[in-house]
Amino acid sequence: MVTNVMPNVDARSLTQRIGRTTILNGIDLEISGGVFGLLGPNGAGKTTLLRTFATILSPASGELRLLGYDPRRGAGRTAIRRRLGYLPQHLGYYPGFTVFEFVEYFALLKEMPNAEIRPAVARAIERVGLADRAKSKLKTLSGGMLRRVGIAQAIVNDPDLLLLDEPTAGLDPEQRVLFRALLREVGQTGTVIISTHLIEDIAAACNQVALLDAGRIVFRGTPDDLSASAEGGVGDSALERGYTRVLSGARG
Amino acid sequence: MSDRVPPDVDFGRVWAHVAGDVWSPPPRAAERVLARLLDSQVFARVIVTTPSLVVSWLLASVVVLGVGIVVTAQTGQPWIALLAPVLAGIGIAFAYGPGVDPAWELSRSMAISERTVLLSRVASVFVVNALLGLLASIVVGDALTLTLQWLVPMAMLSALGLAAASASGSAPVGAAAVVLGWALIVLGGSVSLGGMAAVQDARLLPIYGALAVVLAGVALALSERKATEW
Repeated sequence: MVTNVMPNVDARSLTQRIGRTTILNGIDLEISGGVFGLLGPNGAGKTTLLRTFATILSPASGELRLLGYDPRRGAGRTAIRRRLGYLPQHLGYYPGFTVFEFVEYFALLKEMPNAEIRPAVARAIERVGLADRAKSKLKTLSGGMLRRVGIAQAIVNDPDLLLLDEPTAGLDPEQRVLFRALLREVGQTGTVIISTHLIEDIAAACNQVALLDAGRIVFRGTPDDLSASAEGGVGDSALERGYTRVLSGARG
Repeated sequence: MSDRVPPDVDFGRVWAHVAGDVWSPPPRAAERVLARLLDSQVFARVIVTTPSLVVSWLLASVVVLGVGIVVTAQTGQPWIALLAPVLAGIGIAFAYGPGVDPAWELSRSMAISERTVLLSRVASVFVVNALLGLLASIVVGDALTLTLQWLVPMAMLSALGLAAASASGSAPVGAAAVVLGWALIVLGGSVSLGGMAAVQDARLLPIYGALAVVLAGVALALSERKATEW
């Protein structure tokens, strides 16, 4: 029997420009379920790609479908956003809000049904390990805790598409382990895309990975595939060596 | 009564409901009133997070209008009518946007559209400033005449602040446009018609009204373009 599963992310020849500078150059990417890692050096275009998938930026050209909808259409964009979770690289917050209020605010903006909001907010806060700080004001939290608050608002609506930009920045090793377990859990029912510099996050949590360089995808495969490309690369692990080898190969 | 728990109880669900109720802080008075008035929790929260409606901003506005009341009482000149429109215009420029709202980036990926957030905050800032201006006019006396002097210019400068901030993507640029625009009008009126003609000459009101409509149209068109540029 042939099953035809529509990918949650379907980008074709996607291009993104800021002014005259091309940031993304002809991205072709299909992503279905699981945890997908975006690797690449600074300035490769990872954040721009995630912001495009988060429906914040419209593509300069190319086709994009998210969760089966066309984000160019207002109704499609709203439908995507209701099922989207997004953690930006730099999370802005209201210092006087409590953890609960902040997560609740974004649950409201995601148009979750009123009756579901409070228990969903409580679950999200508990999942990121902040149950004991639910009533704390954000201005009293550490950087790692604020990062977890950001993750809580991203998962509060049990998103089908979860986009996380440098999610583990500021998390201590124990929190990172817990966070990767959370990623795998969300990836069982939806699609998680994380942008990261940390190779170990990719190794531990992702079942697919893409490597971006200068706005182009120069590698797509599993972490094991990337490790298998290690010969001639530099780094402490096979994955790091694969990463540097693919990058140097892409740059000629 | 049996102390046995029925087998189909979902403890996780029960916990989430209890924790949600226990952790949820009682809404602030302003948010509670707004939620009742608007019959919407989300709009109430959107409005109370408006940067130019925080307590410190409102206190600053009250101080400026207080000074206006004192100077008006001493000089007999309509200083409230000069100050109130500028306060509203600057407040609207700082109601939403990059560098102004900490959660701006995140809120752009939400189902409630940016445009809806912007317009609800703009309306709120205008209403709050109009109420403050009205109170100041009542203190000075002859509230009806005084209010008519500043209300239409306030609408015009609010629309100018919104249009300039939307076009530039910068709240300071919007605020600068308000201050500069109003200064030019006041100085121009003073030179050509004398005194504080900008807020005393009723012949200018239709012009302000027309400008308010045009600038509001520009601001709406800009927000429409942003919403449809996808």
